[in-house]
Amino acid sequence: MKVLVAVKRVVDYNVKVRAKADGSDVDLNNVKMAINPFCEIAVEEAVRLKEAGVATEVVAVSIGDKSCQEQIRTALALGADRGIQVETEGSVEPLVVAKLLKGVVEKEQPQLVILGKQSIDGDNNQTGQMLGALTGMAQGTFASEVAVDGDKVNVTREIDGGLQTVGLNLPAIVTTDLRLNEPRYASLPNIMKAKKKPLDVFTPADLGVEVTSHLTTLKVEPPAERQAGIKVESVADLVDKLKNEAKVI
Amino acid sequence: MPTLSDAVLNELTDIVGPARLLREADDLATYGRDWTRFAEPRPSAIVLPGSIDEVQAIVRLAAREGVALVPSGGRTGLSGGALAAGGELVLALDRMNQIEDFNPVDRTVRCGPGVITEQLQTYAEEQGLFYPVDFASAGSSQIGGNIATNAGGIKVIRYGMTRDWVAGLKVVTGTGELLDLNRGLAKNNAGYDLRQLIIGAEGTLGIIVEATMQLARPPCDPAVMVLGVPDMPTVMSVLQTFQEKMDLTAFEFFSEAALSKVIEHQGLTRPFETATEYYALIEFEQRTPEDLEQAMALFEHCMEQGWVLDGCISQSLAQARDLWRLREDISETISRWTPYKNDISTVTSKVPAFLADVEAVVTEAYPDFEIIWFGHIGDGNVHLNVLKPDGLPMEEFQRRCGEVSQWVFEIVQRYEGSVSAEHGVGLLKKDYLHFSRSDAEVALMKQIKQLFDPAGIMNPGKIFDL
Ligand SMILES: Cc1cc2nc3c(=O)[nH]c(=O)nc-3n(C[C@H](O)[C@H](O)[C@H](O)COP(=O)(O)OP(=O)(O)OC[C@H]3O[C@@H](n4cnc5c(N)ncnc54)[C@H](O)[C@@H]3O)c2cc1C
Ligand SMILES: Cc1cc2nc3c(=O)[nH]c(=O)nc-3n(C[C@H](O)[C@H](O)[C@H](O)COP(=O)(O)OP(=O)(O)OC[C@H]3O[C@@H](n4cnc5c(N)ncnc54)[C@H](O)[C@@H]3O)c2cc1C
Repeated sequence: MKVLVAVKRVVDYNVKVRAKADGSDVDLNNVKMAINPFCEIAVEEAVRLKEAGVATEVVAVSIGDKSCQEQIRTALALGADRGIQVETEGSVEPLVVAKLLKGVVEKEQPQLVILGKQSIDGDNNQTGQMLGALTGMAQGTFASEVAVDGDKVNVTREIDGGLQTVGLNLPAIVTTDLRLNEPRYASLPNIMKAKKKPLDVFTPADLGVEVTSHLTTLKVEPPAERQAGIKVESVADLVDKLKNEAKVI
Repeated sequence: MPTLSDAVLNELTDIVGPARLLREADDLATYGRDWTRFAEPRPSAIVLPGSIDEVQAIVRLAAREGVALVPSGGRTGLSGGALAAGGELVLALDRMNQIEDFNPVDRTVRCGPGVITEQLQTYAEEQGLFYPVDFASAGSSQIGGNIATNAGGIKVIRYGMTRDWVAGLKVVTGTGELLDLNRGLAKNNAGYDLRQLIIGAEGTLGIIVEATMQLARPPCDPAVMVLGVPDMPTVMSVLQTFQEKMDLTAFEFFSEAALSKVIEHQGLTRPFETATEYYALIEFEQRTPEDLEQAMALFEHCMEQGWVLDGCISQSLAQARDLWRLREDISETISRWTPYKNDISTVTSKVPAFLADVEAVVTEAYPDFEIIWFGHIGDGNVHLNVLKPDGLPMEEFQRRCGEVSQWVFEIVQRYEGSVSAEHGVGLLKKDYLHFSRSDAEVALMKQIKQLFDPAGIMNPGKIFDL
């Protein structure tokens, strides 16, 4: 069984992002980039399926400019067998990503596509679902457990108030939630080996997709700064402020 | 056991107010000791001054009445320096925790002694700068305590000790006099630099009441590697290989025994499947992509030599932090076995032979004890921890550890090393000071103390007895 995993290059989770002074976008100058944490979980799940003898090949795909090859190499170091980059410029919206992924799915014919449930930059939470709609494949989103059983896959989903398990016929799409697994570290010997693994580059045209845009970013601004707290002198003072300033009692 | 007279208690209350003079048993136990557990805290009272004036008034009163003072910072010390076991008055600096007067041109900032180390680190980060002294207790230790112990930590090979970041100090000596030392100057050869005497004096010369701290530029995209190494001498070969070609920001090591305990108790992930006797943790900056390539090439070389059996590298800041936890969480993890800690060092070039000798003695002497090795080996400093077996009474354990320490310190002396690389002497290492310092040195130290503290009230009995 072939598994396709999507990985995205995003601002490192631990970086405090800043808006550009002109409010046009987030400032990405000299900012640490990393693989999207949910995508990392997707790669781990695919590699585990391979280690368990369920998957035979894991293909990692990323859509972006040349720098996203770094994240493909990370996926290869974590255990993916080969990489595909779809070369695009600037930011691409979820629908375009889904169309491009559909193109890759048609080329590769995977039995399982694993994606993160969302990427931490745009927080759109759309790509997996859109890919499902475009390909007509079954989808199991927000997975906390994935169990392949013959030509079916059972996906346990984290929903409000509990867990739900859905059975999907393969080929299928799974999007990962945080608790699906704990990703491993990239081993240095495997990073060396990953350098020799194949990485193919396609253009959107190769996949028959036209990159269009239906979204315009109007403004990016930081959240309002929280006002500093104050110390009150006495309980009476506190009650007075709660009554007259905060007007909560 | 000395107690405080009502007159003294009243005068203290007048200075700080009744809420800042603590005498409840809970408070005495909390403020009366540091991280060590070898003796019971028995202070007579705790006083919490809020200003330099108040510190001066307390010290003057103490000098006049002959009341012994124990300065207390974050109480994370590992040598009993802040332990008040003999009825002393504990002077805790927790309230003097303001950060003020950031100067972007000089890259300095003024800190009260009670500023928590991490508070300064965060503050520096907010200014786009970096305070480089760091270790596992940074969330509790104070700048005053760091200066009083000249704390080292995990970035010493690149950034030096606390001493290197103190641009100015205000100190109240044992007479209550306030000294304003160096005032932030980079160059100041006008006579003796008394600031350097105060740094590392463990509160025996005076109370640090303010510090002007130097800040650095932040490191550029630090990456963390953990490497599996077969034995201790090989750890040093790996260090040498990397240092010949790269400026590392950290080089730490720990043993498999340490790792397996941390993983079990902190719920962390193993860095890689292969278990090896020792692990090296290397941190370096990625200024350009070539830095990573260089590190990879060095890793390959070490693999070919058989010095490294496996390894991994952080792919994100979160992974870098998690890999650091494998090393940083050791002290806390093993604290439940009340370990007997040795904090020894020698010059880096002598470390392989030194460690071989120490390891031989320890393995022979403690066949039934579990030994946990870790430390800042990149600067020649290792922490040797002996865990107390659960059934063994504390006294018996201390006695046997004390015997072996004697042998370990003889080796330290032979290698011209230090019996306390970064934790200070306090009460715990007092009997062993002579293994690292000559009689003449100790005699001068005592005379210096008497000049700063003629009444003998500043942390008496720590480092040496007069
Ligand atoms: C988990 C853990 C890890 C650690 N790792 C390291 C490490 O890597 N490197 C390292 O160097 N240390 C380490 N330490 C030891 C300790 O954290 C440091 O020595 C630290 O600098 C102590 O600061 P503190 O504020 O807690 O001081 P305290 O323990 O309160 O006091 C230490 C000494 O300084 C004196 N003192 C405190 N404040 C003042 C003041 N304002 N004026 C005068 N004297 C004062 C005290 O009397 C005492 O003698 C570690 C400790 C723990 C618990
Ligand atoms: C043209 C010129 C340019 C200079 N530029 C600089 C500069 O840029 N920066 C700078 O810092 N200085 C500068 N200096 C001053 C001088 O060169 C330095 O102070 C230098 O370090 C003095 O070294 P010396 O061996 O000549 O010492 P001396 O002049 O011989 O002695 C200086 C002091 O050290 C003591 N002393 C000497 N040897 C010992 C010893 N072995 N043990 C104990 N005490 C000892 C002496 O008693 C004396 O008090 C300059 C001088 C000149 C003439």
